[in-house]
Amino acid sequence: MNPAEELKQKLPAAVVSTGMQLNKPMAVIKKEELLNAAKKVKEMGFDHLSVITGTDYNDHFEVVYNFFSYEKKQNLVLKVITDHDNPEVDSLTSLWKGADWLERETYDLVGIKFTGHPNLIRILLPDGWVGHPLRKDYDMNTEQFVTMGEGGEDVVSTDGGNLLRRK
Amino acid sequence: MDPVTIDTTKIKTVKKKPVTALEKLEDTGLISTVLAAREREGLILFSTVDQIFNWARLSSLWPVTSGLACCAIEMMAVAMAHHDIARFGMEIFRASPRQADLMFVAGTVTKRMAPRVKQLYEMMPEPKWVIAVGSCASTGGPYHESYAVLKGVDLIIPVDVYIPGCPPRPEAWLYGVIQLREKIKNEGYGAKWGLNK
Ligand code: SF4
Repeated sequence: MNPAEELKQKLPAAVVSTGMQLNKPMAVIKKEELLNAAKKVKEMGFDHLSVITGTDYNDHFEVVYNFFSYEKKQNLVLKVITDHDNPEVDSLTSLWKGADWLERETYDLVGIKFTGHPNLIRILLPDGWVGHPLRKDYDMNTEQFVTMGEGGEDVVSTDGGNLLRRK
Repeated sequence: MDPVTIDTTKIKTVKKKPVTALEKLEDTGLISTVLAAREREGLILFSTVDQIFNWARLSSLWPVTSGLACCAIEMMAVAMAHHDIARFGMEIFRASPRQADLMFVAGTVTKRMAPRVKQLYEMMPEPKWVIAVGSCASTGGPYHESYAVLKGVDLIIPVDVYIPGCPPRPEAWLYGVIQLREKIKNEGYGAKWGLNK
């Protein structure tokens, strides 16, 4: 039995559906039950959380978790669907320490909020950047520039006046 | 002391194999207006100041050690024994911009890196030259439509030579370097007034 089916058997209330995603067993989880399901997944031997991504489908977001078990050499994909206006899911940092930076990246680029994260700030883009660039509704027409402040910190503005040679 | 008389008729025009340091210098063609007093064993040299300066500058361009992305790997290949940029007197990649006179912008200039690249350039002493290597540094390349990448490093600092490619082969780097040497050779008032060959 593949791990997605196994999870469904153990937690029938949490799993919405199961299937395959690029040859990996996949389970769609209810948003409220994510932390419970993740605990179960960890008990099943999935000790490595390799990637967290967010996908924008215009009317909803999907948060995708990729797990791997070094013990059983198995993959498992969990998906959580959130609404578009206020995308918010529980943080998995209490279970996998590595989730910290992965969640920060997903927050930075897609704008998913992870409740319970100890330090949810941008990781790649500088503080002060407007918008989350991997969203479909990101404004590509206003160019944002980064300049250095007095102490070497990043300052974001739409005016590249003291950076560019010509306007 | 007896006055030294220079008999120019004694200077041979027949081209022979350069032996002395002065003859070798003449043979490079870099200093064209060399007039030497053979009687005094080549101790007097006439040229324009520009030519001497340009010759010194182009013969030992020291690049600053800075690489931004994948193109920097190719920069290492150019510096290694196989392609051997030391042949142009540039093997010393300086770890401080204050000691460098050439900057290879080798790679993607991201928005966040741009002010740092500019600062690095401003910290270099004059005279200084910039070579933009790869399509990223020239135009933004594969990331031209990205929100996070500058569309060419020439938006923030002046560029002397562009080398296209993604990444450019080491031979293309060497060709770019030769183009820059050609450019430096023709800098200054000597070249403007037609004194240089
Ligand atoms: S031009 Fe190509 S090889 Fe060079 S930095 Fe850009 S993507 Fe990398």
